[in-house]
Amino acid sequence: MKRNAAMHFCFVLGLGLLLIGTAAAEDEIRIVIKDHRFSPSEVRVKAHTKIKLLVSNEDQTAEEFESFSLNREKVVRAGQSITIFLPPLKPGSYDFFGDFHPDTAKGMVIAE
Amino acid sequence: MLGTFIITWRETIEAALIVGILLTYLNKIGQSKQFRFVYWGALWAVIASLIFAGMSDYLSVFFKDIGEDIFEAAILFLATGVLTHMVVWMHHNAREIKGALQHQAELAITKNRLWALATLAFVGVFREGVETVLFLWGFFLQGGGVTSVALPVTGGLLGIGLGVLMTWLFFKGFGHLDLKPFFRVSGFILLFMAAGMLSSGIGKLVTVGLVPPLMEPIWNTSWFLSERSFLGSLVAGIFGYRSSPSLVQALFYLLYFPITLIWLRRQRHDLAQ
Repeated sequence: MKRNAAMHFCFVLGLGLLLIGTAAAEDEIRIVIKDHRFSPSEVRVKAHTKIKLLVSNEDQTAEEFESFSLNREKVVRAGQSITIFLPPLKPGSYDFFGDFHPDTAKGMVIAE
Repeated sequence: MLGTFIITWRETIEAALIVGILLTYLNKIGQSKQFRFVYWGALWAVIASLIFAGMSDYLSVFFKDIGEDIFEAAILFLATGVLTHMVVWMHHNAREIKGALQHQAELAITKNRLWALATLAFVGVFREGVETVLFLWGFFLQGGGVTSVALPVTGGLLGIGLGVLMTWLFFKGFGHLDLKPFFRVSGFILLFMAAGMLSSGIGKLVTVGLVPPLMEPIWNTSWFLSERSFLGSLVAGIFGYRSSPSLVQALFYLLYFPITLIWLRRQRHDLAQ
């Protein structure tokens, strides 16, 4: 019985989080990966606004979009695009990089 | 070449340390004969990584964008459940496992549970494995001259080799030290691994917008330990450390412990009756 109750609780919690997660609109920003570089490498966004980052990889090789300051990492396979949701940011700059080509693939999100 | 070397070396150490911790744990509960469970899990993870990375083009519809993250999150949640279940079970049976395990029947039960270790080794290696394969495969696809492929790939493979060797030496070196304090807490360390996997899985769902971060970041500890540093990347890979976590990730991480402890207590209570 107790285990059942716990399972129901988890289910409702999950469903609730899912609903809040899909609500609310956000600003859309596009970034292209080409020749192991991000373009634009500097992305200006509104502070305190949710952001939807569309990253498309035009290279023949996979890349991993990674940022410690934004707490995001996601693989973008060759020729594909991914969507990354960012929370409302405080004004400031947040660096990101391509984990597979960290020497060339560098970028910055600037919230203002 | 140096770049690929460092990247694969780091990924390998993360995966190999997880395997090493699992082996140490087996050793602790007097089951070093069952190491093969862990090795099998790791081996299958390498094979699965190759398949998974290789098939991605054909399965692109499924793995397009959020599909992959949901898949990875599901694997991480599975691993959390399996790991927790195993630690709780081992906790209760520690005495019997150490003592009278000569009985075949009991051994069989234990073996049943040890599949959990294979699952964990699998998840630990698979996570880093897919990335490593995709990364190295990129150099083949890039083409160009033979040297432009051979050098980075050689660097990458050397990185994997050195990573395994270093981790092996690390745990081998432990054999000569008095590790009683570590053994005492190794069950506890597994729980931290489980909490890390749980919170990483939640992080994947936050990234694709399926779970709200609630508040993000709740703090920034990169001044203390950055994931950019070697130590930071290991702590992140094994225990799920994040310098700028979201509230929902931190909540799941922190709530995992009291919930597991309550489960532990209730099981003890059930056994007592």
